[in-house]
Amino acid sequence: MPFLEIDHLVKEFTRKERVIRAIDGIDLMVKEGEFVSIVGPSGCGKTTLLHMLAGFVPVDQGALRLDGKPILGPGPDRGVIFQEYALFPWRTAHGNVMWPLEIKGVPKAEREATADRYLDLVHLEGFRDHYPAELSGGMKQRVALARILVLDPRILLMDEPFGALDSQTRELMQEELLEIWGKTGKTVIFITHDIDEAIYLSDRVVVMTARPGKVKEDFRVDLPRPRRLDIKKTPEYAAYRNKVWDLLHVEVIAARAQTPDGRA
Amino acid sequence: MIRFLRGAAVPVALLIAWEIYARTGIAPRYVVAPTEVVKTLWAMTLNGSIFKHTGRSIERATVGFAVGAFFGTLAGLTAGVLKPVENFYDPIISLTYPVPKIALLPLIFTWFGIGDTAKFVIIIMAVFYPTFIASFYGAKSVERVLIWSARNMGASRWQVFRRVVVPAAMPQVFNGLRVGLALSLIIMVTSELIAANEGLGYLIGAAQESLRFDIMYVALLIIGLLGFGADRLMRIARRKLLVGQTLGSEAGNG
Amino acid sequence: MTPFPSKLRDFLAHWYSVPLLLACWEIVSHSGWVQPRLVPSLMLIGQIFWRDLLSGVLIHHTTVTLYRALGGFLMAVVAGCTLGAAMARNRTIDALFEPIFSFGFPIPRIALYPVFIFIFGLGDASKIALVFLEGMFVITLHTYQGIRAVPNTMVWAGSSMGANSRQLFWRVLLPAALPMIFTGFRIALPVALIIVVSTEIIGESVGLGYYIQFASASFDDAKSLAGIAAVAIIGFALDRALIWLRNRAVFWQPEAVALG
Ligand SMILES: Nc1ncnc2c1ncn2[C@@H]1O[C@H](COP(=O)(O)OP(=O)(O)OP(=O)(O)O)[C@@H](O)[C@H]1O
Ligand SMILES: [Mg+2]
Repeated sequence: MPFLEIDHLVKEFTRKERVIRAIDGIDLMVKEGEFVSIVGPSGCGKTTLLHMLAGFVPVDQGALRLDGKPILGPGPDRGVIFQEYALFPWRTAHGNVMWPLEIKGVPKAEREATADRYLDLVHLEGFRDHYPAELSGGMKQRVALARILVLDPRILLMDEPFGALDSQTRELMQEELLEIWGKTGKTVIFITHDIDEAIYLSDRVVVMTARPGKVKEDFRVDLPRPRRLDIKKTPEYAAYRNKVWDLLHVEVIAARAQTPDGRA
Repeated sequence: MIRFLRGAAVPVALLIAWEIYARTGIAPRYVVAPTEVVKTLWAMTLNGSIFKHTGRSIERATVGFAVGAFFGTLAGLTAGVLKPVENFYDPIISLTYPVPKIALLPLIFTWFGIGDTAKFVIIIMAVFYPTFIASFYGAKSVERVLIWSARNMGASRWQVFRRVVVPAAMPQVFNGLRVGLALSLIIMVTSELIAANEGLGYLIGAAQESLRFDIMYVALLIIGLLGFGADRLMRIARRKLLVGQTLGSEAGNG
Repeated sequence: MTPFPSKLRDFLAHWYSVPLLLACWEIVSHSGWVQPRLVPSLMLIGQIFWRDLLSGVLIHHTTVTLYRALGGFLMAVVAGCTLGAAMARNRTIDALFEPIFSFGFPIPRIALYPVFIFIFGLGDASKIALVFLEGMFVITLHTYQGIRAVPNTMVWAGSSMGANSRQLFWRVLLPAALPMIFTGFRIALPVALIIVVSTEIIGESVGLGYYIQFASASFDDAKSLAGIAAVAIIGFALDRALIWLRNRAVFWQPEAVALG
């Protein structure tokens, strides 16, 4: 039985009495522990899909199931990582990681210790008492990751989490994410614009079409794990890279020619 | 330090010029030498009268401010998250906001008598508006991702309000409190000028009638210090309470 | 469903609280719980408003109040914008004046009114001077901060395209600071009205503040409320006029009409 099930998902937005179809029948099955990346041209509905998985946005048609149970609203079993970090500016790094534990009602001493442990996991123990305004982009995203992991969600939903970072920091973060994924064995849905990122990280890459978004291609990345950054120099890697580039290029061109109401 | 000296240059020069002008004898009576003002202040400190008037004024302003700010902030935050509450307040506030509340003062005196109740009522009304509007906008403009991420981490609606909306709105709430504080002092002085037998505004009015300009300036000085001190306290509280949110954004707060 | 009733329903859903409050007022007025003199019926207030409007009394007082408020306000606009811009552009002027403004800002300047009476007399001049002083503070600070907050990159972009410092000021800094400057106006204009009405209440023989104060002193609450209504109307109208002006001047960044 699949762990996460996306079944004929359709989503439409109504704007000034015009209906815009953002997602047009997506089917996807994800196994437990799998790392799946989703790539697609801008505006094809990736964020919308993720927000529906998170339960922020209602489903129009079709169904979403996690472990056989329908997804009906937000919940701590699905940890969301936002591109904008979404840290609470009035709390330190440590305070942010403790926040969800307070919500759960974990006793003080225990949540202090747990938060520290997770800050260690993302290598931020030295920045425990810094406020988000005093952290770099990469550090903020690591705090956000620790804050989500502390709840031990069953699946991580990440929307271009490293999109705002420079390419060096981004590669470091990718390595760290893989390390954490290796330790925790979480299922991950990872949205990105970056082809390299998708291939380097994932077990599977899903390429979406221009809006209205459908699954264009869905394939396995059979590169050995654990992966190191130098894997990017291998010919196997280059072959995957070219494949995704070709698939995506057509769709990006199609997306560019679109008008707001979706006619080409 | 140099910056401070330069900043003090204009006020100090003015004070010295004022002192000289007052001592030449050609100045009109209302130009009282600053040294004379200080002498009167000292005398009023010794006989305790300055404390009596200052105490009454502070009491009126503080009670009025506290009550008005409490209800204004509470209503504003609730209206920011609950649509029915917003619908109730929005038309009333947007219609009456640009109206000077002080115009109600004479009417309120006829309703509540010229005692302290009337002064409290008018200060409360005046403080309600800026605190309401600031906290309403504060609560409304909380970033959507913050709320979503809290919901995602399992927070209930009440927890989202209490632990996300309220702290996120705090910088705006403080802006409203600052405006409200300034207003409460203005209304306090005005209402005491119109009707009171104690308080700094009363002191100014009485001094004006008996042509005791030195006392008038003493009262003005105290009022100025009160306004300045209250504002500083507010800024310190803001900086202490909102550490994470004021980092790197202090400059524009003049 | 036809569109009309649903529009009406939306309208009511949004505005119901105003008629609701007015109805409460009317009920209290007729209930006999309080003396009707203290809470006069809306009808009576309306009649008095209408009577004094037709006889020209209200218009006379309104004109005086408006003259004082707008006179002081316009002077404050000219002086405040000039000084604020000078402070933002010139370090010496900044060092000399900035402390006065940031320290003096929280001081309730209305307390100076009795002194102003001695300097400028009881009539228009003392009130206009006080409005000017009050407006000056707000407008200077907003102009100053507005110009100071223009991002460097914008200025650099301008100068790299060959603008001299004069052109930079008129074509980059000023437009970029305009939203903030208008925010200052929008704070200063109601304050102008507050100052004029308060000083007219304190001691005057003409103006809307006097009209209200006189009516209350003669226990004519209905007339007092008619005066308050007049103040409310001009306060509201001035604010809307300013927003109208702002949205034309700062057309690239429209501001909601509603609150704040
Ligand atoms: N709340 C909304 N109201 C109306 N239309 C919306 C809304 N949210 C998204 N859309 C539309 O749905 C489509 C998909 O948006 P979405 O944000 O999911 O794209 P995306 O794939 O995440 O794009 P990007 O890669 O640029 O982040 C877009 O055309 C967008 O205009
Ligand atoms: Mg997106």
